[in-house]
Amino acid sequence: MNIGQFLAIFISSVFVSNVILSRFLGLCSFIAISKETRPALAMSSAVFFVITMSSAITWVIYRYLLIPFNLAYLRTISFILVIAAFVQLVEMIIRKFMPALYRVFGIYLPLITVNCAVLGVAVLNADMFFSKGSPLPGSFLFSIFQGVCVGIGYTLAMLLMSAIRERLEYSRVPEAVREFPLAFVTASLMSLSFMGFNGFKF
Amino acid sequence: MIKLSAEFLKGIIKQNPIFVLALGLCPVLAVSTSVSNALGMGAAATFVLVGSNGIISLIKNVVPDKIRIPCFIIVIATFVTIAELVMKAYSPALNKALGIYVPLIVVNCVVLGRAEAFASRRPLLDSLVDGLGMGAGFTLGLILISSIREISGSGKLLGYPLLPGFQPALMIALPPGALLVIGVMLGFFNLLKRRKE
Amino acid sequence: MEDKLIVAAAPHLHARESTARIMWSVSLALLPAGAAGVYFFGYAALAVIIVSIAVAMVSEWLLQKLTRRQTALSDGSAFLTGLLLAYNLPPGVPLWIPAIGAFFAIAVGKQIFGGLGQNIFNPALAARAFLMASWPAYMTSFRTPGFDAVTSATPLSALKEGHLQQVYSYLDLFLGNKAGCIGEVCVAGLLAGAVFLLLRGYITWHIPAAYLLTAGIMHYIFGPSGMFSGDWLFYLLSGGLVLGAFYMATDYVTSPLTVKGQLIYGVGCGLLTVVIRLWGGYPEGTCYAILMMNAAAPLIDRYTRRRIYGTGKV
Repeated sequence: MNIGQFLAIFISSVFVSNVILSRFLGLCSFIAISKETRPALAMSSAVFFVITMSSAITWVIYRYLLIPFNLAYLRTISFILVIAAFVQLVEMIIRKFMPALYRVFGIYLPLITVNCAVLGVAVLNADMFFSKGSPLPGSFLFSIFQGVCVGIGYTLAMLLMSAIRERLEYSRVPEAVREFPLAFVTASLMSLSFMGFNGFKF
Repeated sequence: MIKLSAEFLKGIIKQNPIFVLALGLCPVLAVSTSVSNALGMGAAATFVLVGSNGIISLIKNVVPDKIRIPCFIIVIATFVTIAELVMKAYSPALNKALGIYVPLIVVNCVVLGRAEAFASRRPLLDSLVDGLGMGAGFTLGLILISSIREISGSGKLLGYPLLPGFQPALMIALPPGALLVIGVMLGFFNLLKRRKE
Repeated sequence: MEDKLIVAAAPHLHARESTARIMWSVSLALLPAGAAGVYFFGYAALAVIIVSIAVAMVSEWLLQKLTRRQTALSDGSAFLTGLLLAYNLPPGVPLWIPAIGAFFAIAVGKQIFGGLGQNIFNPALAARAFLMASWPAYMTSFRTPGFDAVTSATPLSALKEGHLQQVYSYLDLFLGNKAGCIGEVCVAGLLAGAVFLLLRGYITWHIPAAYLLTAGIMHYIFGPSGMFSGDWLFYLLSGGLVLGAFYMATDYVTSPLTVKGQLIYGVGCGLLTVVIRLWGGYPEGTCYAILMMNAAAPLIDRYTRRRIYGTGKV
C-alpha cells in the first residue's frame, strides 16, 4: 500500500478510465443533466456523496455478510438493495433536517439509485480488490478511495461538459445534430483527449 | 393478434430503445466492440426484459404503490442474477468480455423504464410481447452499432478478418470511437426523421 | 447620403483585420517551419502537406454545401487547418493518413459544431489525436533528416525509452536537425513566424509565455536525475511544444477570452504537457494537453467573466 497505488487509482478513475467518458457509467444522467452548470454541479455533488458512502457500505456487506455465507452470487441483488435503501434514507434525512440542501440536490437523489455509476463502482470494487473471496491488503481503503476518485471524475466530466454545452447554445449548429448527437461527439473528443494519460506510471 | 404484433414491432423501430428513446446507453457503448459481445448482451437483456415484464405484470395489483420501485428492482435483480449465473456457467468467455455490464442490466433504464411505464399497467400477454419487442429492438440496435465498430475498428466481423491489407481505425474500437459512432448515428437518424416530415 | 447612415448595433469598430487576413497571416508565419520540414525530409513531407491542405479545403467546400451555408474557402481557415495538421504528422506517413485526418478535422473538428468560430476543440489537434489513436504504428515511425530516410526515434521518445544514443546539440534541436513531425522540428522557423504574428498583434504573448514558462519550470524541477536538475532547454526545444504554444494554443476560438483566463489556460497546458511527458505513456503530451484545456476553456471563461456594470455575481 504505497502512494503510487493511490496515484494510479486516481489517474485511472479520473482520466484514463473516466467513469463517464471511458466506462460509460452514468451516461444517461450525463447527457440529460449536463446542459447547464448549476444543475450539473448539484447532481455531481449528490453522486459524489452517494458513490463514496455506498462504496464503503457495499464493501462491508460483501466482506462480512456475503462471502462468509457463500452468498457472493447474490451480490447484484444485495448491492442494489443497499444502494436503494441508502439513497432513500439520505433523501429522508436531508429533506427533514437540511431543507436548504434538499432544494439544491434533493431532487436528483432518487435518480441516482438507477445511475449505473453507483452500482458499477460497487461491483468494480468487489472485482478489483478481492481475490478468490478474500480481500487484498488495503482493500477497504482502496475501495473508498476509488469511490472518491470516481466521484471526482464524474464531477470533472459534468463540469466541463456543461460549460461546453452552455457555450454551444450560442452556436448555429446544423439542425440534425442539435442536442444529443453533438453532445456525444463532444464527449467523444473529450474522451480522446483524456487518452493522453494512458500508461501513466509514477 | 394484430394488436400484439403491433406491440412487438414498435419496440423495433418506432420506439427503439436505443435510437428513439435513448435509454440504456451505458452498456450499449461499452459492449458494442464486437458483434458477438453484442449478441450476448442482447440475449441477456431480452431475457431479463421478458421475465421481469411478465412477473411485474402479474404482481402489479398486489404491490403497494409506495414501494413499487424497490419491488420492481428486486424482481429485475433476480432475473439478472439468473442470467449472470447461467452465463458464468455456460459461456465464461462471454461473461468475462461483458464484465461488469451484466450486473448493470439491473439499473438499465430500458428495463426499469418498461416495467414502470408498461408492465405495471398492462395485462400479462401485452407485457411479455412488449418485453420481447423492446429486447429485439435493443439487440438489433446493438448489432448495428457493433458491426460498424467491429468492421471499421478492427477489420473483422464476428472474429473473422475481412479485407486483407485493410488498416482499421483502432480508435473506433476504443471508448471515444463508441461515443463518436453513436453521435453520428443519432444525427443520421435525426436527419432521416426530418426528411420524412 | 443614405450610405452614411449605418443602422447597426454598437460598437462601430472597424479594424483592418478580417478573419481572412488573420488566417492567411498565420499560414504565412508557418511557412519557414514548413520549408525547413520539406528541406529536411524531402518530397514525402511536401506531399503530406499538399494532400492535407487539399482534402481539408475540399471537405470544407463539400460540407458547407451540404449544410447549405455559404462556401467561404477564401477565408483561409480550411487551408490553415490542413497546414497545421500536416505539420503535426511524421513525414513518412502513407498519404491516406493526412487525407482521412484532414476530413476528420473539418467534419468532426469544425463543421459539426457549426463552422468557423464555433468549434470547441482545435480541429488539427483533434484530428491528430484521432489518427494517433487509430493508426499508432504509422503515427510513431519517424526518420532522420536527409536523403537516406533512416527510421529513428524522436529525441523525446528516445529519452523516454531510455536509449538516447545520439547526443543532440542545442543547435541541432533549434534548427531542426532531428527526427520529428514535419512542422515541429525547426524551432528557429517557428519562432521567426511567431515574432511576426506577435508584432502584428495577431497573437498575444500571454498564452505562449504562460505555457512555455510553466513547462520550462516544471521540466527544471522534475529532472530525471533528481530534483532541480532538469535540462529544461532540451525539453523546450523538443517535440511539438513551440509549435503548440505559439500556433495552436493561441487559436482565438478555442482559448479563453480574458487575460486572466488565458494565463490559467497557458499554465494548465504547460502542466499537463509536462506531466504526460514525464510520467505518461506517450513521449509527447502537447497535443493532448491542449485538447484537454480546449475542453476546459468554456469553464474557465465562465468563471473569469468580467462583471457587467450594475449586475450582481454570476
